[in-house]
Amino acid sequence: MSQREISFATQLRRAGVADTARAEALLGHLRDVTGASMEDPATAMSYLADPDSGLLQLLRVAEAARDAGVLDSLLALRDTRAGAKLGVLLGASIALGDFLVRHPEHIADFAAWPEAESFADVDQRRVLLEAVGADPASAAPVATVEGDAVAAMRVAYRRQLMRIAADDLFSAQPPAMLPEVAAALADLAGAALEAGLAIARADEPDHALTRLAIIGMGKCGGRELNYVSDVDVIFAAEPAEGADETRALKVATKLANAAARACDRAGAEPALWEVDANLRPEGKDGALVRGVASHRAYYERWAETWEFQALLKARPIAGDPEVGEAYVEAMSPLVWKAVEREGFVQSAQAMRKRVEEHVPAKEADRQIKLGPGGLRDVEFTVQLLQLVHGRHDESLRSRTTLEALAALRRGGYVGRPDAAKMDRSYRQLRVWEHRLQLRKLQRTHLMPEDEDAKRVLARASGFATVEYMDEVWQDTRRDVRTMHLDMFYRPILPVVASLSADEASLDDAAARDRLSAVGFDDPQAALRHIVALTEGVSRRASIQRQLMPAMIGWFAQGADPDAGLLAFRKLSEQLKDAQWYLKMLRDTGTAAESLARLLSTSVYVTEALLRSAEDVTWLGDPAALAPRPPERLEREADAILTRSDDADQCITALRGLRRRELARSAAADVLGLIDSVQAAGSVTNAADVLIAGALRIARVVVARAEGLDELPLSMAIIAMGRYGGQEMGYTSDADVQFVFDGDDPRAATLAVKVAQTVQRLLKAPMAQPALEIDADLRPEGRNGPLARSLASTTEYYGRWSDPWEAQALLRARPCAGDPELIERFTAMIDAVRYPTELPASALKQMRTLKARMESERLPRGVDPQRHLKLGPGGLSDVEWTVQLLQLQHAHRLPGLRTTRTLDALRVATDEGLISSTDAGELEAAWVLATDLRGALALRGRSRTPDVLPGDTRELRVLAEIMNVRDTGAELLERHGRATRHARAVTERVFFGWEDGA
Amino acid sequence: MDKQQEYVLRSVEERDIRFIRLWFTDVLGVLKSVAIAPAELENAFAEGIGFDGSAVEGLTRVSEADMLAEPDPSTFQILPWRGASQGVARMFCDISTPDGEPALSDPRQVLKRNLDRASEQGFTFYTHPEIEFYLLEKPEAGKLPKPVDQAGYFDNVPRGTAHNFRREAITMLESMGISVEFSHHEAGPGQNEIDLRYADALTTADNIMTFRTVIKEVALEQGVFASFMPKPLVNGPGSGMHTHMSLFEGDRNAFYEAGADHNLSPVARQFIAGLLKYAPEITAITNQYVNSYKRLWGGAEAPSFVCWGSNNRSALVRIPIHKPGKGQSTRVEYRAMDSAANPYLAFSVLLAAGMKGIEESLELPEGAEDDVWELSPAERRAMGYEPLPASLSQAIEVMERSELVADTLGERVFNFVLRNKRAEWEAYRAQVTPFELEQYLPVL
Repeated sequence: MSQREISFATQLRRAGVADTARAEALLGHLRDVTGASMEDPATAMSYLADPDSGLLQLLRVAEAARDAGVLDSLLALRDTRAGAKLGVLLGASIALGDFLVRHPEHIADFAAWPEAESFADVDQRRVLLEAVGADPASAAPVATVEGDAVAAMRVAYRRQLMRIAADDLFSAQPPAMLPEVAAALADLAGAALEAGLAIARADEPDHALTRLAIIGMGKCGGRELNYVSDVDVIFAAEPAEGADETRALKVATKLANAAARACDRAGAEPALWEVDANLRPEGKDGALVRGVASHRAYYERWAETWEFQALLKARPIAGDPEVGEAYVEAMSPLVWKAVEREGFVQSAQAMRKRVEEHVPAKEADRQIKLGPGGLRDVEFTVQLLQLVHGRHDESLRSRTTLEALAALRRGGYVGRPDAAKMDRSYRQLRVWEHRLQLRKLQRTHLMPEDEDAKRVLARASGFATVEYMDEVWQDTRRDVRTMHLDMFYRPILPVVASLSADEASLDDAAARDRLSAVGFDDPQAALRHIVALTEGVSRRASIQRQLMPAMIGWFAQGADPDAGLLAFRKLSEQLKDAQWYLKMLRDTGTAAESLARLLSTSVYVTEALLRSAEDVTWLGDPAALAPRPPERLEREADAILTRSDDADQCITALRGLRRRELARSAAADVLGLIDSVQAAGSVTNAADVLIAGALRIARVVVARAEGLDELPLSMAIIAMGRYGGQEMGYTSDADVQFVFDGDDPRAATLAVKVAQTVQRLLKAPMAQPALEIDADLRPEGRNGPLARSLASTTEYYGRWSDPWEAQALLRARPCAGDPELIERFTAMIDAVRYPTELPASALKQMRTLKARMESERLPRGVDPQRHLKLGPGGLSDVEWTVQLLQLQHAHRLPGLRTTRTLDALRVATDEGLISSTDAGELEAAWVLATDLRGALALRGRSRTPDVLPGDTRELRVLAEIMNVRDTGAELLERHGRATRHARAVTERVFFGWEDGA
Repeated sequence: MDKQQEYVLRSVEERDIRFIRLWFTDVLGVLKSVAIAPAELENAFAEGIGFDGSAVEGLTRVSEADMLAEPDPSTFQILPWRGASQGVARMFCDISTPDGEPALSDPRQVLKRNLDRASEQGFTFYTHPEIEFYLLEKPEAGKLPKPVDQAGYFDNVPRGTAHNFRREAITMLESMGISVEFSHHEAGPGQNEIDLRYADALTTADNIMTFRTVIKEVALEQGVFASFMPKPLVNGPGSGMHTHMSLFEGDRNAFYEAGADHNLSPVARQFIAGLLKYAPEITAITNQYVNSYKRLWGGAEAPSFVCWGSNNRSALVRIPIHKPGKGQSTRVEYRAMDSAANPYLAFSVLLAAGMKGIEESLELPEGAEDDVWELSPAERRAMGYEPLPASLSQAIEVMERSELVADTLGERVFNFVLRNKRAEWEAYRAQVTPFELEQYLPVL
């Protein structure tokens, strides 16, 4: 006896029962209730997704059947195929079990379903209409059932749902059956709304005044509905013949509301699902019901890109069929026209990205629907391809994802293996989603976390173990994720470049469509480059073929896809013998993507890379893109200078060093790894190292020429202006002045020679780029000696200088030369630039000078608003304002003694010299202008790096480089606002004008 | 190609249209036009017509700007004064940048953007203007303008030029699909008023542009001259464009609440409060010329002080009384605007001011029951009735500091308008007027 019991418990455990003692007890109860026992309970239960709860549900159903006196109908199912279906259903769906407990009379359904008839053959509309006593043959059926018509409809709905679910769950191949299931669910939802409408008509005596159609959108429209999800609808109505339009619309709105409520209002028989009409024009604020013409007018005038995409799925599902057809007929041309809008694909992709970003991070890995590699990815890819090619090929205009996918495959728009993989993944994801939803008939798209729930899901969807299901889940997600790029871009590659014979390869016209849809201006040329890159049997071509689809996608995301692709071709040809190049692109996670971004956005970086192709290696190693610290550059420069005493060789190497650092900063800048202020800092560092080196070389060169061992003087170079402020741009000159000290009578002559030599070394044409030196800010400007002694400089500033010269000294920063001289120079100028007080006359002079500059320095024919430096609210406004505060207060507040604008501004704010609101406006305008200047230089298209381009397309590129999401117009608007505000602050703080003066 | 575009192409064929004028409006509200041949039309629909977009910047444009004019097929109309066959038709255009973004400098796009903002809040903006203008004899240089008649308010002038004129003009307007609500002789000699039917603000603005053209054309045909100048006669009343406004939420008038004070909903009260608060800031837009201020401060019925009242004709904002049961026609009337305003920009700032009132949940001050003109300055100050700007110069100053106007027009248009208006003020200030010569020359 005990032997047998143990083995029964083991059997149960093997069948998947978790609590065997409880299961045995339940089986005992079941026997008591039904008066019959199961033949082989363990085997029967092994088919159940959740044997424990299935058994409990069976017991509850049995009790309900007993109480209702229909136990016979349950017993009749014993050991039949129909009985097995009931078991499987109870094991997978608690909610449907509960339904049978509420309505035991429908247990008989299981035996009543004809063996030969599939659920797909049922006319759901007829069944549900008859359930509420409405005539299915009528165009506007009216419910006649006595009592709670809504409950009657819902019970009928759930009986049908039970039938679909039972067959679905009983199926040996759920993925194969998926399209039928999803279509039946959509039809059933449509039928529910139709019956709901019939109920609504019964309560609305004037219903004949209007002809209301219910249009299914989303999955319902696509006939690919879930077990439970919001049903997206749009209501369209036309007045019946002779009816007043306003009145008819009012009645239609009432009917629409009532029909929706019949489905989603809480009631004795629970609600079915939410009816969601928010896809309608103007969303939830818009009128619930509109006429067809009004719908169309909205779409023509107001609708956003995504709204057209949503229309792709529109299908009449209930109500007046003619109005429904009229709606679809009016709308569908708009879908295909919308694709022709410029940037359609980009804006669709951006929308997709935003949706993805909205998925909470902790859910992203479990989201079957919205997460990366989820259902939405499949649907999106398919829809995008439909939209791109459906314009010319009507065979692609299906509403259903899987049908559209098949059509795309048949048409040769996607490869057979890709299509098959996508098809398989989609079905699998949907089966999981369905199984999860069936459990409690709840809207969920999350893979469960806890082991028990996972086990139930695995069993329900035909996986032997949770581990195996997890593995397939990960694979599926990865496949779907990578397939977007592959499906979208790979077929663009020419036939000869196909990886296998099964690959799709588009004909020229279709390939051009696709390229031009993603933003290539000259698809013909792009195709040529792609052919050149991928054709042939070389190893290189074969790697390129693997890389190309993704690269095309990345180029397309950049500002100038055509230029990017062309540059990539050039670079690849230059590096055709470099083994590491393609290896890096293929094997390093982000290298290829970064390269595509650089080449398609920045002409400056592209030229830098084409000049020195080996710099591309940086992309393989993110650390290599970080700015080199100044000490490291100094050590490198020192090594160069120590290694060789050939002046040309040394300066070439140093100029090369600077070029390399500029390229590095520029690349990091475009890739968003550093901001424009950091970039300006590292550009300044590179100039510092080069200039210091040039000074060292120049001293040696002059000494040699003069036949001296050592020059009898000390010398220093002082950085001025933006260079002094460490705010140098990629293409800026270096403002400097030269100072020397020495008693030797030849010192002055020699110092000038050294200064000239420095200039020549930096400027002379050679392989490595020059750095232009500008010494015009020295005492007496161009009329003064190029190098001046400390004593004379001291005297000059002490006696002659104007306030603006003191102001210019605020930005003076010694960057090279003798430390002791530098110290003395600094002490000397500090007395000048941080005066104990700023006399009123000096203040007046500054203001006048600034005002004059505004009117004189602006180049003719340039819109002042677009001038980043001199325009109202431009860099110069901010800098002069900050410098005024420095002149006034730096003597008292040593914190203000900095050459950097933002540092000084922050100290001034902390010290209460300027309100934090005002400072905020100044900083925002300054940073934006700096970003824009940086972006303009990186873009490398403009000969006037201080003037914003007028072309909004170019502005959009700048936004792209700045890593902000603005459109060109938005960027211009933002700049306009920032400068207007900064100008107001300047007028108040710098000019001292009262408001409105 | 959508159905409307096809309809236009077909009509052009059937009616033997020889030219299509593509209409757009510069920042000052001056109608501009590019003519294209029918052969170019299809391309114009597909890609737009390229032109130098700086034309919309008014008189102070700096540099050229490539823009596209994209005809709006729903505005297709045959110009009736150009004859029925071998005719000329017009469409309004949206101006966009070469990459298809709405041009920031296009007033029509400005209005569209603001209507869009309102629609994000669930509102549609309806307007209905009462447009006043003068019929004058053909102007001669150096002579004062001379009205065609000497009649008064609602006078029926037998066989008067004005009578014929209005009949002819209304026929022409109706033939262009513009419904006319009302027309009558106004208070001044030669002054007429024609009211356009309620419509959404974009349509109304388009209609006003058309209206001005039609009126001028009809006048020319009849050998007279029509002017929308705000104040052409020193002693005659000015030409205003009182504008009735309402917001609809779907089919429901959001300004109406049965049983409330004046049947005004909270939304309406906040909207009015917004209009009042921001009225000084937007005046340079609603009253954009030097001459506008001569009307605004010329007495008669022009509202110079910021206040509201129900059926108070001296108030800036008036609540017209409607018949019981006509809740849908609840509206507010803004009385400062004149007939020479740029309707796109003016509707934009009015809407924005009202919407701002809703956004900030502004309290509506007490209504004015007195004739504000009759009050003493001290009384007005005590009752809190602020004056509107007294001159274009003052109006510019107030507007310059207005975040509301900058945000509504966008930084570009804001700038263009300021630039144009400053230039205008400076040119005006440089004048030596007959008044000065008369007053000063003999005695100084």
